[in-house]
Amino acid sequence: MPQVPLNLYLELSAVLFVIGALGFLLRRNPITMLMSIELMWNAGNLAFIAFARNFGDMSGQVFAFLVITVAAAEAAIALAIVVMVFRRRENADVDDISVMRG
Amino acid sequence: MADFFLSAAPLILFFPLIGAATIAIFGQYVHRSASGIIGCVSLGLSFLLTVGLAAVILPLPVGQQILYSHSHFIGYWAHLPPDLIISFRLLVDPLALLWMLIITGVGLLIHIYSVGYMAEDKNYRTFFSYMNLFVFTMLLLVMADNFLWLLIGWGGVGLASYLLIGFYYDRPVAVLAARKALIMNVIGDVGIMIAIFLMYAHFGNITYEGVFSHVGTVGAPALTWIGIWLFVGAVAKSAQLPLQTWLPDAMEGPTPVSALIHAATMVTAGVYLVARAHPIYDSAPVAAEIVAVVGGVTALFAATIGCVQYDIKRVLAYSTMSQIGYMILAVGVGAYAAGASHFMTHAFFKALLFLSAGLVIHALGGEQDIRKMGGLAAKLPFAFWTFAVGAVAIAGIFPFSGFFSKDAVLDATLTSHHPYLFACGVAAAGLTAFYMARLVFLTFFTGAYRGEHEVHAEAARTMTIPVALLAVLSLVGGALILPRHDELAIMLRSTFVDARLPQNGNEFDLGLSFGVLLIALAGIALAWLAYEWRPAIAAAAKRTFSGAHALLTNAYYFDVIYHWLFERPTYALANALLRLFETDAVDALPAFAVRLGSSLGGLSTRWETGYLRRYGLTFVIGAALLLFIYMLLAHGSSAGALP
Repeated sequence: MPQVPLNLYLELSAVLFVIGALGFLLRRNPITMLMSIELMWNAGNLAFIAFARNFGDMSGQVFAFLVITVAAAEAAIALAIVVMVFRRRENADVDDISVMRG
Repeated sequence: MADFFLSAAPLILFFPLIGAATIAIFGQYVHRSASGIIGCVSLGLSFLLTVGLAAVILPLPVGQQILYSHSHFIGYWAHLPPDLIISFRLLVDPLALLWMLIITGVGLLIHIYSVGYMAEDKNYRTFFSYMNLFVFTMLLLVMADNFLWLLIGWGGVGLASYLLIGFYYDRPVAVLAARKALIMNVIGDVGIMIAIFLMYAHFGNITYEGVFSHVGTVGAPALTWIGIWLFVGAVAKSAQLPLQTWLPDAMEGPTPVSALIHAATMVTAGVYLVARAHPIYDSAPVAAEIVAVVGGVTALFAATIGCVQYDIKRVLAYSTMSQIGYMILAVGVGAYAAGASHFMTHAFFKALLFLSAGLVIHALGGEQDIRKMGGLAAKLPFAFWTFAVGAVAIAGIFPFSGFFSKDAVLDATLTSHHPYLFACGVAAAGLTAFYMARLVFLTFFTGAYRGEHEVHAEAARTMTIPVALLAVLSLVGGALILPRHDELAIMLRSTFVDARLPQNGNEFDLGLSFGVLLIALAGIALAWLAYEWRPAIAAAAKRTFSGAHALLTNAYYFDVIYHWLFERPTYALANALLRLFETDAVDALPAFAVRLGSSLGGLSTRWETGYLRRYGLTFVIGAALLLFIYMLLAHGSSAGALP
């Protein structure tokens, strides 16, 4: 089985990250924005694992697990916030919740 | 036992401080009466130890006295270049012991009196804390063995005096009086500071021993200047001309404060200072002459003012000023033992006068104007008899204590060839008798009671017992300074062993004593004529000499002169600086910083719109910037970091 070169993994990772970032910046639905954030997390994970495999160093894989854990926690909190906002406003457009301006 | 008392000198000093701190810190958690008890007990312990120490040291022969006086090391304090090490060391020679006995003894009596006098006051605890603090700083002043620690105690008594004059802090007059006292006393502090600098420059030393043993090696002009600057401190603290105006105002403090600080102890610190620094004055006749002239003139000056005042405490304040003038006169002409003996008797009878005046004020619910008194002898017999004892003692009537000590001062003035100052002293003696008799007649006699306050019954036993004890001391205190057998002068001989005049105390010239006694009796008789027998005489004299009367009532307009000479120009200067300099120059830089900060901040808040996407963009831009910087650096260090 031919080896997939590292560069291809990294390019895929970069493409995923940019899609996530653009999605986060351009969409107004908080659920979609959360999914975009997940995409960015996983772009990072892909790069970690690719490097780990390429250099034979397991710490990259360990870090990927850590990122998955943190991402889960973040998603839980963010979804809770979204639910609360939706209950108060019957609406979940992020541009409407600019009252926390400081 | 003797060893114990010899090693107890630091305890004498620190008991009052411990008392003050205990009251200040823990007084709020216990019943208010505990503060008074702690104050009295801590001072009582100090007094007992002082008596023990005096009983050990005073009977020793002179050589051993000097040896044992100097052995109380507490700690190192400062190291001044090139090789001067200042220690915190106590000195308990006979001169310091005399002052310590009066401070702790009379102080204890006044503390006990205050338990009754201040019983109703809402700041009872604070009062005893301050009083104990005062006793500590005053003991520090007299027990110091170098000029630096003397100055620390000197400033400390000024602080305690400030706190206690302004004790009724809700009365603006009291606060202003406290401020005035502090400012005038600081003038004196600066004087002593300059004297210390001069000593350091000329002797390279500022301990008493180090300076006094080398007085011969320094020229007379330097010694004169040191003596004059030291005396500036004495003048301010002892309320002598021309820094006297704070003392009458200081009577705004509670009466026990006036008795302890502004009569018996603190205001005599100037006398102590000149007596302590006697080797300097012995070798600097010009400085000593200045001391004597200031003292003699103040004695007469203050006595004349005392004759027309109507506030019972103000009369006593001017009388204090005048009597301290006598002491300063005595130490100025070189009769240190005479000055010290007048200090001792004055502490007895002036504390007595203040405390029994306090009994009257207390019984009248705070009234101090003698025009609203009168006829009180029948209503307040105890206050009357004790006040009368004090008045007779201060007037110098035989055989009360004031007769002997005043005689010793006048005798020394005459024998040291100061005829004009002697005349001042004699005139002041007559005036003293006059104004004290006037005070007694107007307060206790001249018809019926004229005031509107109800006269309360005489005070509690905590107040009467100290007054009775002081009356006894005023009566028999003269036994210590009998003519030709002056125990006090013998006691003090090791301190003044090298003084320029022999310190025999009262030499006793029968003609002189008799003459002064006659003048005093004449003063009393005049007061009786003018205020008791025919009050119309006093009224007529007041009308005839209305100009002189106004001059005396306003204390020679010193306050007005100082107001126009110092207060107004200072305010004018400060206001001018405020207008020209403060707002435009000093305030400009901070104001610019404030404007810059707020405008930059305002600019940056525009970016913060509250839209989540805006924050997201900020975040992404930041991350991109970090990545860019990282790549720039990585490229710089090792080109093509990625494989």
